[in-house]
Amino acid sequence: MNISRRSFLAGAFATTVYMSLWNVDPLKAKINAGSKKEDKKILMKMVRTLYPHDRFPKGPYLRTTEDVINKGNSSPEKAIMLQEGIDKLKADNFNDLNFKKSTEYLENMGRSEFFEHVRGTSTVTLYNDKETWDLLGYEGYSYDQGGYINRGFNDLDWLPEPRIEEHPDLAAFLSESPKRYAEIKKMISKELN
Amino acid sequence: MKKIDQKEKAVVIIGSGAGGGTMAFELTKAGIPCVCLEAGPFLKAEDYTNDEWGAFGQMAWLDKRTTSGTWRVSRDFPGLPTWLVKAVGGTTTHWAGATPRFLEYEFKTKSTYGKVAGASLLDWPISLQDMEPYYTKAENAIGSTHRGGRTPLPANNNYKVFANGAKNVGYKFYATGPYGTNAEPYDGRPGSIQDGFNFQGDKNGSKWSTAKREIPRALETGLLDLRTNAHVIKITHDKSGSVDGVLYMDNDNNLQRQEAKVVVVSGNSIESPRLLLLSESSMYPDGLANSSGQVGRNYMRHMTGSVYARFEKPVNFYRGETMAGFCADEVKHDPNRGFVGGYYMETLALGPAFMGAFLEPGGWGREFTNMMDGYKNLAGMWLVGEDMPRSNNRITLSETEKDQYGLPVPNVHFDDHPNDMAMREYAYEKAEALYNSVGAVQTWRTPPYPSTHNLGTNRMSAKAKDGVVNKWGRSHDVKNLFVADGSVMTTGAAANPTLTITALAIRTGEYLASELKKNNI
Repeated sequence: MNISRRSFLAGAFATTVYMSLWNVDPLKAKINAGSKKEDKKILMKMVRTLYPHDRFPKGPYLRTTEDVINKGNSSPEKAIMLQEGIDKLKADNFNDLNFKKSTEYLENMGRSEFFEHVRGTSTVTLYNDKETWDLLGYEGYSYDQGGYINRGFNDLDWLPEPRIEEHPDLAAFLSESPKRYAEIKKMISKELN
Repeated sequence: MKKIDQKEKAVVIIGSGAGGGTMAFELTKAGIPCVCLEAGPFLKAEDYTNDEWGAFGQMAWLDKRTTSGTWRVSRDFPGLPTWLVKAVGGTTTHWAGATPRFLEYEFKTKSTYGKVAGASLLDWPISLQDMEPYYTKAENAIGSTHRGGRTPLPANNNYKVFANGAKNVGYKFYATGPYGTNAEPYDGRPGSIQDGFNFQGDKNGSKWSTAKREIPRALETGLLDLRTNAHVIKITHDKSGSVDGVLYMDNDNNLQRQEAKVVVVSGNSIESPRLLLLSESSMYPDGLANSSGQVGRNYMRHMTGSVYARFEKPVNFYRGETMAGFCADEVKHDPNRGFVGGYYMETLALGPAFMGAFLEPGGWGREFTNMMDGYKNLAGMWLVGEDMPRSNNRITLSETEKDQYGLPVPNVHFDDHPNDMAMREYAYEKAEALYNSVGAVQTWRTPPYPSTHNLGTNRMSAKAKDGVVNKWGRSHDVKNLFVADGSVMTTGAAANPTLTITALAIRTGEYLASELKKNNI
């Protein structure tokens, strides 16, 4: 099962989904790259710059960053890629850049393996985080709570209540030949002009 | 459960989705014992989860596949061209529930649209009149709302935005269905509790699937031998060229053989042609049932796209039935729009987990997070229309990549036809106009997801040289071989395909039962 899960995706989406979905076996993965405190800090800034939510506290970003580090250590090759990426951020003083400058910096980074690893892991992990769900107002699991039938599935009140039944002309509209339909449309547009 | 001896020449159905599950029920109901081989496990309501990625990992068909062609899916999801299910019930486990019928001329697109360069349009060998009784049977099986006197689903929040926008831009043909989830108890299934998660299997059981209805009922007849985790890898034939058995890998990776007098292939539009190609032999060097060379060709996946819109006030679009909003105003063929064929607009909601991954694959930055940050205030719709069949959009066997059994993986090649692109552009504009009319503050054009509608790779044709199966779903070449799934579709129409797959399978099932009883097979 593991083999098919691991090999079903390739390229950018591999980093996006596979790496984020199935936790790397910690016994096999030696956590080396990104293990220093300042490494984690600079990576977290990168995650935050990629997916900025001003109202989000540290928690979701921290867990996402840890996931980026953990999954970046799933193989020696990846660990090297991750550490090199972090070292480059440090060498370029990425931590000192303001939001605008750091966004520009990431735009100029291109779609490197490091960039795609951080971005791809982040987009899955950050938005699959339960605290993120709370912050966004998403209620998640619903069946155990009886669905939304009594919990606001139709509570939108800033628009009029729409019709739910089909229009009485629907069957005629669907069965009309396309030729006849085009003629009618033409007649209507002539009439309107 | 019935046990059919592997040495007994049985009716063997490969797959248990809309096609295979329906065939299993039709045949056993008619008193004919069947073996149904399903590659996945039997997931039940208690197994389903209200968790998007959790459910994806649980049920998606994740065997290795490759992609090529100009379509964006090949770039965004190179190893995941489709989003199908490997479990009893097949992709009816995952389907949302929209059940439109084909329109009359959608069975005759070659005659209706005329010549379209670069498209291999062909008229079906059957008409809407042939299909009408089966459409009614399929709607009654599925319990389609708005049909057969069944109650419409109520308006959920996403529909309220959608319907008001539709009305504002002058559309008339919007409603909360037709839809394959009960508004009220029907056929032993409860009414919806508006719990969402239709794509994840529907724990409440209000949604129709063959895992919920056809397979359990076929088992109740005592005539179905359902074997799960049984992945068919080859169909074999005798010296006369008739199929006589199937080889499959069981749960423990042991090779098994089931003798067969009839084989029904219902593995969806990727695996069905792949299996026929894998079943090549010295007698059939290009694959089984492939004297026309059409096996695997004319792969269609519908013109698709989504538009999400952010509003100032809350929508909470994830609450309630996922796709219970439907608009038909743009479905009619009207070449003045700059393309042939038409499309439907259907409400769609994703959770933050899928929204983050699919809103804009590869996307990041402030504009992206503005949409995500306004998650509570989002509304969304899916655009689904007819795409052009193309001879070279096709499933082939990879020359380099192998699956878990060492067999060539399928490659899915798809080049967007200019007609698909023109329709998508037009549909995006119309969807944006709809949402802008109700005050959208931001809209987003989301590109196609991995394909859920997979059609056309064993097309039905009047003449043997033009396709793979005849009007009954029976192979032109091999008389005891049938195909019952979306791959038999000659062209795809604009309609979500599950209703048509089910209706065709009921028709093929009745035909096969009658042929077996008459000893014609």
